[in-house]
Amino acid sequence: MRMRGILAMAALATSAAAAAAQPSPAPRADAAQGTGAPAYRAPRTPDGYPDLQGFWTNLTYTPFERPRELAAKPFYTEQEAIDFFNRSIAGSQDQIVHYVNGDFGATPVQTGARPNLRTSLVIDPADGRIPPLTPEAQKRQQALLAADKARGPLAQTWRDDRGTLWCVFHDRAVPAVVAPYGSNFHIVQSKDWIVMTYEWNTERRLIALDGRPHARASAPTYAGDSRGHWEGDTLVVETKNFTPKRLFLGSPGTPPATAGSPGLTLVERFTRTADDTVVHTYTVTDPATWTRPWTVELPMHRIKGPMLEYACNENNQDGFAALKNARLEEEGKLAPLESMRRGDAKAAIAEHEEKGAAKVIGAQDKDEAK
Amino acid sequence: MTRTTLAAFATAGVLLVLVPSTGHGQAYTAPRTKSGQPDLNGFWQALNTAHWNLEPHEAAAGPILQLGAAYAVPPGLGVVVDGPIPYKPDALAMRTTYAANALKEDGEIKCYLPGVPRMMYMPYPVQIVQSTDFILMMSEFATAQRTINMTTSDPPPAYTWMGWSNGRWDGDTLVIDSAGFMGSTIGALDPEGAIQVRFLDRAGNYHTDGLHVIERIRRTGPDHLQYEATIEDPNVYTRPWTIRMPLYRRVEPNMQLGEFKCEEFVSDLVYGKYQKGSGR
Repeated sequence: MRMRGILAMAALATSAAAAAAQPSPAPRADAAQGTGAPAYRAPRTPDGYPDLQGFWTNLTYTPFERPRELAAKPFYTEQEAIDFFNRSIAGSQDQIVHYVNGDFGATPVQTGARPNLRTSLVIDPADGRIPPLTPEAQKRQQALLAADKARGPLAQTWRDDRGTLWCVFHDRAVPAVVAPYGSNFHIVQSKDWIVMTYEWNTERRLIALDGRPHARASAPTYAGDSRGHWEGDTLVVETKNFTPKRLFLGSPGTPPATAGSPGLTLVERFTRTADDTVVHTYTVTDPATWTRPWTVELPMHRIKGPMLEYACNENNQDGFAALKNARLEEEGKLAPLESMRRGDAKAAIAEHEEKGAAKVIGAQDKDEAK
Repeated sequence: MTRTTLAAFATAGVLLVLVPSTGHGQAYTAPRTKSGQPDLNGFWQALNTAHWNLEPHEAAAGPILQLGAAYAVPPGLGVVVDGPIPYKPDALAMRTTYAANALKEDGEIKCYLPGVPRMMYMPYPVQIVQSTDFILMMSEFATAQRTINMTTSDPPPAYTWMGWSNGRWDGDTLVIDSAGFMGSTIGALDPEGAIQVRFLDRAGNYHTDGLHVIERIRRTGPDHLQYEATIEDPNVYTRPWTIRMPLYRRVEPNMQLGEFKCEEFVSDLVYGKYQKGSGR
């Protein structure tokens, strides 16, 4: 119906962008409403349960929270969705950390992202934005910011930036918040367990399907304790017992960190709506952090395997560089890159080159392409 | 033995139990999954001292004086079937060197992925989740996991810490062929911290990126697997050699893998010299 029409349009509209994308599946917009009650019936595993197995990605250009100017517009038209997708592809070619993601085949369109009719991944509240923090959570956030400010811009220990530079736990894995790349899953099912391995940092979710109760809250984990059951074609997963050592968007997880509150809980629904699509919705509840529960809808698209090992800790150059360079800067042996501090990647490349450093990977190609 | 006898009667209808050379209940027929394969699902764990030393060894003091008896080495009869491990002469000398530098060279200390076969006999449970196309083997240690490809015989697409594994069924036995193992840390910003080889145990037995492992795993009873691995590495050994041991089912009804994200416990050690303050 809707999707069929879009295929033809997409082929025309994105031919230029798709040429740069390898591989380039014909983009199309997915309506992906979990409530859409699709006629599709998922294939069954040998044990008779809906088969969610395979390699999937939730990479997308759709923003997690909706831009405020689109507060009253939860859906794009098909054409708007494709236009947004193409603008995003063009924009993502400029995405530079200390390399160009596109050179590594790592931008979303190169790894399976497709247009989405949704204007945000947050679908509830109605404005598509995470609800306000409770006064208590605001205080916690302010305390964290104050501690960051007191510490200064240079990392003192690995704990200062564990979220992105360290390999303890990838905070985008559970609940799924969609990373800029590497946001891929391998799902394997047996009768009693479903395993979802997330590529980034090999975060794995072991979801018990055998009806056992949750593990004790006194043994919390980064990924939480997950229990699943089938409701028709839908896998419903309830997760709790998150360790307070992590902070999920300001939520400190499980009591006793939030004494008197049930803590962070996650209820997810995975429904296969087509051979190549699983719709993943989840609702986040933590009364000690947010004024109300909120819900996200993420389409997961089938990708080609295999998914290789991430081996984050074994290869962590960034972590070393952050601490080593911080110490060198303190000793006046390394001039800080002001442009990098400002987040101006292009200026940082120029600055690097002025200083006689090797050309940043990808910069040369970009210049020649202009 | 009773169980073995009964199983043999029940399945083969024979009067005498053939005692195989390994004496490990060859006659047991594993229950099948719905798709007809021997069912290896569950939580399994080695109960031996292979993790300390694959070869026969007496008890010994641990590497840190202050840890006393708590971290001393427990004795063991070894798990090498055709030992001693057939090192080339130079490689044997290097084992002595690596063993002496174990605190720097052993990837376990830095929470590095343990590789194969080491993951299978570390003192942490291994969960097997089995589907038709893939068999996952997941250790509690460092979130290490192996994806056994049951439908391809592709060569390793890259060197990795856990290697690339292709599996097939040989009757009741799962046969896994693994290669493509990383032999050391590469491109480390901290050359002092780099490891030169991959340890197979805490005693300095090691392999390089020439490792090729063939494992044979089968059920020998409701709660036992026989695990066997033949280890080849022409850089280090003069011939392939084999280890064999039972793996025991963790039968607790609430058994599940815990989360042992050990990077958290070693980062102060690994990055400490670049940290400011005590780092704790």
